[in-house]
Amino acid sequence: MRFIMKIFSVSIFIAILMFSTTAQAQSYITETGRVSFTSSVPLHSFTGRSEHLNGLIDLEENLVDFYIDLQTLDTGNGKRDRDMYRTLEVEEHPFAEFTGSLTSSYDPESAEEQNVTVTGDFSIHGVTQNIEVEGTLQKTGAGLQLNASWILNMADYKIEPPGILFYRVDEEIEVRIEAELELQDDETNET
Amino acid sequence: MKPNSIIYLITGFVLCLPAVCYAQLERERVVTSTPVEDTFWATKNVGISTTINPSGNDLHSSVLHTFGLVDGGIDRFFGLDDGANTRLGLIYGITDRVSIGLGRMTFRKVVDVSTKMNLLRQTTDGSVPLSIALKGATGISTLSGLGLEFSDRLSYFTSLMIAKKFNGFSVQLSPMYSHFNRTLGQAQEDLLGLGVLLNVELNEQFSLSGEYLPVFGDRNPGTEDAMAIALNINTGGHVFQIFFASSQWHNEQFVMANNRDRFWEGDFRFGFNIHRVFGLGGR
Repeated sequence: MRFIMKIFSVSIFIAILMFSTTAQAQSYITETGRVSFTSSVPLHSFTGRSEHLNGLIDLEENLVDFYIDLQTLDTGNGKRDRDMYRTLEVEEHPFAEFTGSLTSSYDPESAEEQNVTVTGDFSIHGVTQNIEVEGTLQKTGAGLQLNASWILNMADYKIEPPGILFYRVDEEIEVRIEAELELQDDETNET
Repeated sequence: MKPNSIIYLITGFVLCLPAVCYAQLERERVVTSTPVEDTFWATKNVGISTTINPSGNDLHSSVLHTFGLVDGGIDRFFGLDDGANTRLGLIYGITDRVSIGLGRMTFRKVVDVSTKMNLLRQTTDGSVPLSIALKGATGISTLSGLGLEFSDRLSYFTSLMIAKKFNGFSVQLSPMYSHFNRTLGQAQEDLLGLGVLLNVELNEQFSLSGEYLPVFGDRNPGTEDAMAIALNINTGGHVFQIFFASSQWHNEQFVMANNRDRFWEGDFRFGFNIHRVFGLGGR
């Protein structure tokens, strides 16, 4: 019995190592993706940006996972930024995050830009909604290039649009992401 | 089950953990410590500067008004018929901690240039317990026909501002010093004062604030310590300050040198300030 347990454990260990290596061989990550959004008020619009988008695309596991620290968003106006952080209650809900999977086909061998669709849970302001986002994926020399955009409706996430005098910020915000994800190397795999 | 078997199973489970944990990225904050927001709601409370500075590359604009004493009654429309002392001001944030400013007020047609530096900024995680700022300003009277030399028109002001915010309640102490190159009669060239400021947030849109500015040591004959109370309204784009104040002057050195009204005896006037920040970040 003891011998069987040894063999069983060693087998599990080897299987895990093999599984892990196989899965991570097609994992792409970034910590410097770009997020931008455009918000409109009557006669005016402004853009917020961040270059701290963290993301993982695991083709083997069909996992797409992105998040951003909302306090890295910068609209170019300090007071507006502070109002935005307060509106989003970033101390309680510091991240906007998406976890889902590719629901369209993607050929990892092709170097062509391919239209893809991902479906999953997007969370911001403590509210989670299941969303579908369309974008493009393209294999590059170092990894994957991702571009995507979607319309975020603030009411869906219980975000009260900030008021300016007698009018309010448009409830619908266009969100865009761009990221160059790098293939994880062996050193990263060990962590 | 033998003990060894349990050990093997636990070992197998632990070895599985990395694969399980790997499924999703671990969430890590980039920004972990931020300055406390809105200790006061504008760069000036009513007449006394606060530790607030515009962010880097932001342009802060302000329009300050004070009218005549309200005890003029309906005949003087509670002081509004007596004319306003208006100050227009611009402050540009060179960085998040350093700004330069330019202003001009009606009385004595004083143009002032200033700079303010945040030496410390209170942080949300308590690693910096309070905010400290240093301000320096020079006022130049541009009144014509007085036969004054340029240097006679100059006045100087400096202040150290020490502020702390506790859960919606803020307090600031501002020891200050001013110097006038030329004075008339028994007026003092040098004045020392201590600004005491309070702000109480009622909600995200409204706060009540107050300030008191006693002058210490030798002071100009007939002058009184200035005092003001204000309702601050944050509309999202602007901050409005509607207030009653004893002094009709705006810049601190002139408030210390010229205020002759006692707030607590009913000698106060209506006034309002408008503050607006423009981002020059090109977005």
